[in-house]
Amino acid sequence: MKKRGKGVGIIFYGTGYGNGFPDISKAEAELQDDGKVAIYVGATEVGQGAKTVMTQIAAEALGLKVEDIIFINEDTMVTPDSGTAAASRQSYNTGNAIKKAAEALKALIVDKAVDKMKLNTNIGLKVENGNVFVKTFPSRKISFKEIAEDYKENPLKVEEEFIAQTTEMDEETGQGAPYWPYTFSACGVEIEVDTETGIVEVIDGVLAQDVGKALNPKLVEGQMEGGFAMGMGYGIFENLNLKKGKMKNNSFTNYIIPTALDMPDIKNVIVEDPESTAPYGAKGIGEPVMIPVAPAILNAIHDAIGVRITETPVTPDKILKALK
Amino acid sequence: MKKEEIKLKLNVVGKNIIRVDGLSKVTGRAVYPQDIYMDNMLYGKTLRSDKPHANIKVDISEGEKVEGVVKILTAKDVPGHNYHGVLFKDHEVLCETRVRRIGDPIAFIVAETEEAAEEAMDKINVEYEELDGVFDPIEAMKKGAPKVHEDGNIVYHYKIRKGNVEDAFKECDVIAETEYKTHMVEHAFLQPEAGIAYVDDDGMIIVVASTQYPHFDQLEVAEAMGIPTEKVRIINPAVGGAFGGREDITLQIHLAMAAKATGRPVKCTYSREESFVAHCKRHPMVMKCKTGADKNGKLLAMEAEIVGDTGAYASWAINVLRKAGVHITGPYEIPNVKVDSYAVYTNNPFAGAMRGFGATQVPIAHEQQMDILAEKLDMDPMTIRMKNMFKLGSETATGQILEESVPLDRCIQEVEKVMNFTQGKKGGERE
Repeated sequence: MKKRGKGVGIIFYGTGYGNGFPDISKAEAELQDDGKVAIYVGATEVGQGAKTVMTQIAAEALGLKVEDIIFINEDTMVTPDSGTAAASRQSYNTGNAIKKAAEALKALIVDKAVDKMKLNTNIGLKVENGNVFVKTFPSRKISFKEIAEDYKENPLKVEEEFIAQTTEMDEETGQGAPYWPYTFSACGVEIEVDTETGIVEVIDGVLAQDVGKALNPKLVEGQMEGGFAMGMGYGIFENLNLKKGKMKNNSFTNYIIPTALDMPDIKNVIVEDPESTAPYGAKGIGEPVMIPVAPAILNAIHDAIGVRITETPVTPDKILKALK
Repeated sequence: MKKEEIKLKLNVVGKNIIRVDGLSKVTGRAVYPQDIYMDNMLYGKTLRSDKPHANIKVDISEGEKVEGVVKILTAKDVPGHNYHGVLFKDHEVLCETRVRRIGDPIAFIVAETEEAAEEAMDKINVEYEELDGVFDPIEAMKKGAPKVHEDGNIVYHYKIRKGNVEDAFKECDVIAETEYKTHMVEHAFLQPEAGIAYVDDDGMIIVVASTQYPHFDQLEVAEAMGIPTEKVRIINPAVGGAFGGREDITLQIHLAMAAKATGRPVKCTYSREESFVAHCKRHPMVMKCKTGADKNGKLLAMEAEIVGDTGAYASWAINVLRKAGVHITGPYEIPNVKVDSYAVYTNNPFAGAMRGFGATQVPIAHEQQMDILAEKLDMDPMTIRMKNMFKLGSETATGQILEESVPLDRCIQEVEKVMNFTQGKKGGERE
């Protein structure tokens, strides 16, 4: 017999290193000969989309197109330390550092433009598409490339850093402000339990994720899809079969992770509520997208078969044992 | 920045810009460390412990006789400090006299071919004197349990003491008291560890390997090599997923040592099976939770004890069990909270960072606690959550005020729209 059930999980997630630890990201912005801008950060692209969203942040702040940003993050010799690609901290922390560096470089470029165009002030100027111009008289303009010509030997370059604000918690009471920002999410699933085989199938799902502001909605959705799959794998698929310190399941032959065939067609909902300390309001979401999924599945299993499974992974034999 | 300002016209942010690294990845042009070949390159293989806890004696002499073997590195060949670790330096680069888990690295064989390195690996004689191991973190906390490291097995204890749980439980109309256990899992990133290292004309050691934090790897390689940080360069090519599994050092130091010792480029690529044993895992946790509410479903108290198994090494155990402790209340206002969260050494595979970092395990407990309470109160699962959830101005169990950007209510409503929990259960039987 197949029994259906529904379950929900809701969570909060504190991003960043936390607990007062210096959570520092550095970023450099440098005007290139051709008027493009290079961004140097030590932030790793692990597949989460860091290169893309950080390029977007720099482009937005400088009034440039994505194609005009050269993003360099692969080499310790040329990049500053931007901390680890973890704790859902790169969009927020390094994103903030990049925004600061891009804005500082823009201000520097504007100053140079004022000198070069022999203007009386930097008030009333606009920066757009690699040009600095007088808002009320747009033909009075100069391009980034023309400005760069004066600095071929020693390019205009700025470095900025961003440090996230947290406090160390009290050792005895745990009181303090350990993380910031917090991100929130909720997940609902519908599942089907085969009472003869013990197999649980997730047949429907909805994931609503607070993002502050989505820097790139498609990339957020990608994280949500991946997070759902990983959360599902955690709850009902993945089992190392650990015995006396030995992992018996140590390859994808027997360590089963979800595939596209296991993924239901989930509904992803991006919830925006910009955070004032974040770059354009964006909070980190790399981790929270997976967190509410497994608990929602466990609650749905109880809804379906009336038995509460308190130990993961929920393997078929555990379900069959619980049904007896 | 005010919200109105954020709503100002944005030209690039908020747009679905196609991934800047997308084309190179879908066309196969992106360079992952395994794709890199250099002239005159050697291959490295890691000999690892197959016992979870033992004293060892290593004899490499038979391995050295294998044709094509250039160098076999052991603990005595580590030029600087024979240790590394993200918080505690409790990993040995190559184990000298003792192994604490299956998979601990003992020797690094450098040869002209992978086959020669493998043959030498079989010929190296490791004499194991097995020691009692401990594999259950609850057992590991007891007096007299085998010690994984000298200072005892309890690495960390985090506490929350807010209000008075004992008094508050007396006021509760319903209480849920349950023990939950989560298991150890693997990151299963698609690209197993691989890397190549070489020494340039200026004596700089260059390590090309996928990592989450190149600047920290640079420090750890420099310390183990006994050279200044500026003499180490980490190049981080395309990374095939990480999820926390590339935070601790795996092959970076071995490769640096091998390149320095041989003067030739050295490459190493882990198989999937070696990848499983080489990097950290997600902490399994035992979570005892007692949660109480009044008859209206308002939460009054929570008491929780968490024991996290960090295996043979600490890695991020302190931060992970701290995060677990902070998050075990769930996103709910609870005026009285008592939490004790422990990180404990065992002889299991070591646990470290993994997506969610301690906050992924605890909702397995707090979300089932909420459903148990709802059932006792004959309430639907949404209503009890909405009565207690964090909102603007809420105070967390650590006393932190959530003073902006708390759209949890909207997240819940979006789920409710699809799932209709408040309309009663729609599950049922199907033949």
